[in-house]
Amino acid sequence: MSRLEAKKPSLCKSEPLTTERVRTTLSVLKRIVTSCYGPSGRLKQLHNGFGGYVCTTSQSSALLSHLLVTHPILKILTTSIQNHVSSFSDCGLFTAILCCNLIENVQRLGLTPTTVIRLNKHLLSLCISYLKSETCGCRIPVDFSSTHILLCLVRSILTSKPACMLTRKETEHVSALILRAFLLTIPENAEGHIILGKSLIVPLKGQRVIDSTVLPGILIEMSEVQLMRLLPIKKSTALKVALFCTTLSGDISDTGEGTVVVSYGVSLENAVLDQLLNLGRQLISDHVDLVLCQKVIHPSLKQFLNMHRIIAIDRIGVTLMEPLTKMTGTQPIGSLGSICPNSYGSVKDVCTAKFGSKHFFHLIPNEATICSLLLCNRNDTAWDELKLTCQTALHVLQLTLKEPWALLGGGCTETHLAAYIRHKTHNDPESILKDDECTQTELQLIAEAFCSALESVVGSLEHDGGDILTDMKYGHLWSVQADSPCVANWPDLLSQCGCGLYNSQEELNWSFLRSTRHPFVPQSCLPHEAVGSASNLILDCLTAKLSGLQVAIETANLILDLSYVIEDKN
Amino acid sequence: MLSSMAAAGSVKAALQVAEVLEAIVSCCVGPEGRQVLCTKPTGEVLLSRNGGRLLEALHLEHPIARMIVDCVSSHLKKTGDGAKTFIIFLCHLLRGLHAITDREKDPLMCENIQTQGRHWKNCSRWKFISQALLTFQTQILDGIMDQYLSRHFLSIFSSAKERTLCRSSLELLLEAYFCGRVGRNNHKFISQLMCDYFFKCMTCKSGIGVFELVDDHFVELNVGVTGLPVSDSRIIAGLVLQKDFSVYRPADGDMRMVIVTETIQPLFSTSGSEFILNSEAQFQTSQFWIMEKTKAIMKHLHSQNVKLLISSVKQPDLVIYYAGVNGISVVECLSSEEVSLIRRIIGLSPFVPPQAFSQCEIPNTALVKFCKPLILRSKRYVHLGLISTCAFIPHSIVLCGPVQGLIEQHEDALHGALKMLRQLFKDLDLNYMTQTNDQNGTSSLFIYKNSGESYQAPDPGNGLIQRPYQDTVVENKDALEKTQTYLKVHSNLVIPDVELETYIPYSTPTLTPTDTFQTVETLTCLSLERNRLTDYYEPLLKNNSTAYSTRGNRIEISYENLQVTNITRKGSMLPVSCKLPNMGTSQSYLSSSMPAGCVLPVGGNFEILLHYYLLNYAKKCHQSEETMVSMIIANALLGIPKVLYKSKTGKYSFPHTYIRAVHALQTNQPLVSSQTGLESVMGKYQLLTSVLQCLTKILTIDMVITVKRHPQKVHNQDSEDEL
Repeated sequence: MSRLEAKKPSLCKSEPLTTERVRTTLSVLKRIVTSCYGPSGRLKQLHNGFGGYVCTTSQSSALLSHLLVTHPILKILTTSIQNHVSSFSDCGLFTAILCCNLIENVQRLGLTPTTVIRLNKHLLSLCISYLKSETCGCRIPVDFSSTHILLCLVRSILTSKPACMLTRKETEHVSALILRAFLLTIPENAEGHIILGKSLIVPLKGQRVIDSTVLPGILIEMSEVQLMRLLPIKKSTALKVALFCTTLSGDISDTGEGTVVVSYGVSLENAVLDQLLNLGRQLISDHVDLVLCQKVIHPSLKQFLNMHRIIAIDRIGVTLMEPLTKMTGTQPIGSLGSICPNSYGSVKDVCTAKFGSKHFFHLIPNEATICSLLLCNRNDTAWDELKLTCQTALHVLQLTLKEPWALLGGGCTETHLAAYIRHKTHNDPESILKDDECTQTELQLIAEAFCSALESVVGSLEHDGGDILTDMKYGHLWSVQADSPCVANWPDLLSQCGCGLYNSQEELNWSFLRSTRHPFVPQSCLPHEAVGSASNLILDCLTAKLSGLQVAIETANLILDLSYVIEDKN
Repeated sequence: MLSSMAAAGSVKAALQVAEVLEAIVSCCVGPEGRQVLCTKPTGEVLLSRNGGRLLEALHLEHPIARMIVDCVSSHLKKTGDGAKTFIIFLCHLLRGLHAITDREKDPLMCENIQTQGRHWKNCSRWKFISQALLTFQTQILDGIMDQYLSRHFLSIFSSAKERTLCRSSLELLLEAYFCGRVGRNNHKFISQLMCDYFFKCMTCKSGIGVFELVDDHFVELNVGVTGLPVSDSRIIAGLVLQKDFSVYRPADGDMRMVIVTETIQPLFSTSGSEFILNSEAQFQTSQFWIMEKTKAIMKHLHSQNVKLLISSVKQPDLVIYYAGVNGISVVECLSSEEVSLIRRIIGLSPFVPPQAFSQCEIPNTALVKFCKPLILRSKRYVHLGLISTCAFIPHSIVLCGPVQGLIEQHEDALHGALKMLRQLFKDLDLNYMTQTNDQNGTSSLFIYKNSGESYQAPDPGNGLIQRPYQDTVVENKDALEKTQTYLKVHSNLVIPDVELETYIPYSTPTLTPTDTFQTVETLTCLSLERNRLTDYYEPLLKNNSTAYSTRGNRIEISYENLQVTNITRKGSMLPVSCKLPNMGTSQSYLSSSMPAGCVLPVGGNFEILLHYYLLNYAKKCHQSEETMVSMIIANALLGIPKVLYKSKTGKYSFPHTYIRAVHALQTNQPLVSSQTGLESVMGKYQLLTSVLQCLTKILTIDMVITVKRHPQKVHNQDSEDEL
């Protein structure tokens, strides 16, 4: 019985951004995200007062999915960052900090939302077109013929997640593994349209990180007893595989909407079992060596197959079905009757393997685009963090394959971009204000807010009280330790810039990031030899960062445009 | 059980409610409007500038407020536009009415009349006003639209006869629409997207049917993708289904598809039947038979080049397996809406597995151009290249945005735009009545249909304008007199090679005293207007010239007693008059039509024009009620441009604009709008009538009774029993 109830009226609030409550919650969120940012970022421990799982992280995806946000404005902000992260994996914290900074800076100005939004949009398109242009001074081409740049990219991602708890040596090891796992997913002889394979991450908790490894093919976890029971196959040629997606347990399938009346003494179970054994006979006559089933295989059938030296493995689960189909080239069989001969596939070999305390059945493919990354870490929380990081790195490598460029990391892109915007708005404001009603003063104000928002993102890389400087030639970032003497010989104190491209031996002028500077033209067009010589670059994914920039500014615009919040109290 | 509490329903209460609503909607009206964030009870957030959505999200308690919201919703359902303007206009109308009562009651009514009594008196007065409003809406408004406003209308079609749509004018129209509906940093992009979509989906012959199809199935025709910037939104040729293939087999060449609505695999028993199993062998043979049958059906489909199976239900593993073996891709579990959309596009009925099996051709298959998986942000979709059998060329919109709430807003706005266009592409019939009078030719702005008959004022106590459908109209034996004169003027003002023809109707002076009436003004007005347009819209200019030079088709309808010549013309309206000399009072019942695609420049042009002509009309009215109603409406109309120009200063502020417009009208010069963009006249007209109807409803209520009981389900007594 349904009960009708009158709806409660909603709560309507005007000018939500001006209220104290929103400001404080926004600044709390900003404090959380800024303190997590970068290699020296602080970790957050998230736990539920009612018990359960404790998560230690500094990554935006883990952080935001655990946070419970109630205010609608914050909800907009966090969901937009989560959506960005789920599509690009990287640059979540960057997006969050930039968005918060931008909202804060712009609000201080007191300009009308129309002007702010219009100008923000112009500045964004200026950034995007610069970052995509040939003359851009902060991006480098990615060369897939050598692993140098790719390793730098992966290493930068690993070092920026301190909650993985990796030593320098471990970082090197895991970076190499991730890169290998990625390279294994690329088909060898691909023409035109490339379909990437898949790297499956297999958990191995409680082991040393150094024990992590990459294997081609698929690992199916099994208990030791089960594994012992499997008979070794000795065969020189490839093994024939049958992969079932339907149940082989002997259930009676859907009988329709009407009723089925079974006479006394008729045993359907026997009937179905007969059918299953017939299927087994067909498999034997087709010389199948390996039977895999997504669901359950009837024990009698299993026994029957084992007797005929066929390995039968059931309960594979739906997640492994697609990689298995891809790797073995089978077609999942949904029939208990006649099986079409071309639905069988093959594997090169099978073997058993033991890693740590776990036992695996290892399917070795003929042609590998599927690989398994056995990932080890000391404890659960660190493993979870490492797994997320590995997924991010793999995704970033995929994105880089599509768009083979990388941005200079370590904050150099942001300071460089800010310098470029300052210079552009100062020297060529007419080109930005082509057909708009905005004045030059408004543009200067917004550009300053925009640039200082970008620079504050970089500022939050420093958590130990150090200072951040920028040079007046490249517009790169240089950080100096907290306890250094005030008036000093800068080239001695600073060794190299944030991304590691330049060192301080060059004749450069520095100034503090927060001080006012005269706008200058940051040097565009990177010299090729500089990229080659630098051994340890810090790099960011171009695609993810571009989208992060866009999402941050679009979201900030959205929030600044709000005039009312209507909360449904039902 | 029933405890009730009554509150006087009055203009004052309604005004208070409307003012609160106005405060909320006026912040998001027009190009300078801002966004509103709504939360749903589920915790989702929605961004909106859609007035209807906002009003519904408020969950108002006040009965009058709820009534207003209902009126707005039903208006929106039809037209897809104008919710915010609705509230603002209504509020100004109520303000006008309230001001009148304040003025009137002071000296007269306060004496000796008790409060309750005064209330009832007020109510009866409201009744009269509401009737006057109704009369205005049904009888006068159309006339003013037809006779005065129509000359200012522009057309969205570049050729009126074939109704070919002009891209640049559609762009202007959509841009103005989206200005008020989506965030200001996205409106240009979204309107461009809509425009592209429109032109990609339409064939040159497609008519109103396409709008219906797209309107009905808009949800299925777009795909939302979160986490990408808005600028990644695009249009994809073909249909994108929000499903993944159950099995995908790449295929090319001659590809056919079938739709099924039930499982292909035969089952043991169907609903209502019984299957008796007597032996194990029987079970095995029937299983075997099922398997073989399924296999045979799939093979047969394969032999007929069927490469795609679309199913509204989940198919058993067996079917999927044999489909894969035979190289057939399968999409399962489609919603009934998706299936009906596909069926409407390709005109295909579902495939029913044949009982008796034969090698004959399957009738219900259709060709497809392609079918492939489409990956949008690591999620897989089915992408179909259907070959349309109707006027709609299938295209899907991929809407991207950082959050779901924004995507929903854009989807909502696109859907609304579609509704607006659907209305715009309809002809509007205008029916109205004029009462003739003898002030012929005094104002250059009036075209008199008839003149000479003396005007007889109706019963003063009545307060109503006589209805046009009086019995006398039907009984009148007098033959109808109408003459059409074509006045041909060659305008060499702007474009010398464009020939302008304008039909100017006037009645022959056979029955009436001579008053051959020249209305060259209209023409100059038109051509001047075109002159102005040269600066702005080159294509529109062409529109007009072609529109006005198209000769209307004339339809003659002969009734038993009276003859009506109906002349439909595009671009300008020509009323048909039936003059019925009747007991000294001459009433003309006119009907004409506003052609599809009439637009006006944005920025309150419609409101200012109507305001101006209403004031002129009010000056000529003899009845006090009519004058008053016209005045109130005229003044309330100005409320809309006032809000629109709120942020403008100096030359572009509202008073300046208004004075310029009135001056231009008085001197017969074209109106100059400071904004580019067009809006649908149809939408404005419908809005006006909806608001007036809503106001009538409010005024007729004299008391609000609060019933403190749980709402009960209303049983519709005459629904099923009588059918």
